[in-house]
Amino acid sequence: MGDTQWPVYEVFLQEKRGEPHVHVGAVHAPDPEMALILAKEQFVRRGRCVSLWVVPAEAIYASRAEEAEELFASALEKDYREPRGFRVTERVRRWMERHGESLPDV
Amino acid sequence: MGNPSRMSEPLREALGSLLLAMADDEVLLGHRDAEWVGHAPILEADIAMASIAQDEIGHAILWYSLLHELGWPDPDRMAYFRDPPEFRNATLVELPRGDWAFTVVRQFLFDYAEKVRLEALMASAYRPLAEAAAKVRREETYHLMHSRAWVVRLGDATEESHRRMQAALDLAWPHALGLFEPAPGEDLRVAEGIQPPEAELRARWEAEVRPILEAASLVVPEAEPIDGGRKGQHTEHLAALLADFQLVARSGVGETW
Repeated sequence: MGDTQWPVYEVFLQEKRGEPHVHVGAVHAPDPEMALILAKEQFVRRGRCVSLWVVPAEAIYASRAEEAEELFASALEKDYREPRGFRVTERVRRWMERHGESLPDV
Repeated sequence: MGNPSRMSEPLREALGSLLLAMADDEVLLGHRDAEWVGHAPILEADIAMASIAQDEIGHAILWYSLLHELGWPDPDRMAYFRDPPEFRNATLVELPRGDWAFTVVRQFLFDYAEKVRLEALMASAYRPLAEAAAKVRREETYHLMHSRAWVVRLGDATEESHRRMQAALDLAWPHALGLFEPAPGEDLRVAEGIQPPEAELRARWEAEVRPILEAASLVVPEAEPIDGGRKGQHTEHLAALLADFQLVARSGVGETW
């Protein structure tokens, strides 16, 4: 007997109407209908769900791990683009620390 | 009709015998399904079957609880401390789990029988039963999707899957007809609007399952029903099942968990 594993389907779950479908995991299944049937029991046994998507894993075109560093990391100093880069933020943080409070991480 | 204390004794008996048949069917099928835990063909199917097993046992508790309200012992006592002749399940659910094809075919035949029964009971004159039937019917939607999908796929997937599915249907069909053997007191239940006749339920069930089996390239055998379960007559498999199923409860009588 060869490989008995079925193709992989990625599973996306929507908890409430209007919210995004969020990736929750994957199932093996012979076809989309069976993938949905099996995904329901793997991921919606408990908890909220109003909609479930299954997507053939092979339909996902993904970035390559070895490119991640060059593709996503910023090489140059770009703090000025983020709110935390403002000098006033630092002053507020110092003031709050002196008074025993803390600023949430942005 | 919703108050057991205002019910005549024969009616209480008649209602109880229906609930007992339904509860015993569910608890034993739940146990047979649970035997797949750790053994199903793939992990996902294993988890789905375990969930279905839990659902069936949950339904059993519901029917046993309604029975308890009518004066029968509590659900644990009913499930764990009765002997084979006291069980009123159809023989379909006591048969060994067999291969995956048999499991799928049995579940399919049972799920549709439950569907037509619940849909009829949602209009039952006994209110607590009608309300419970509506609740369980919602949960059955998934079971129907699940078992129909397996039957349709395995029925004509490969030569081997077809052969196994046909053998499973040949074995299961006459026992499945036994699901519609009337439990004692049917005339009274029908007259009081508690349920339609079993023969009517069977006709509705056949109208649902035959086209699906046909679409799956399976041939429904010509066979007489294997009745007796509703009178406590069982196959030799029930005793072995109960020995396993009741072992822990009976070996620790009076223990607290």
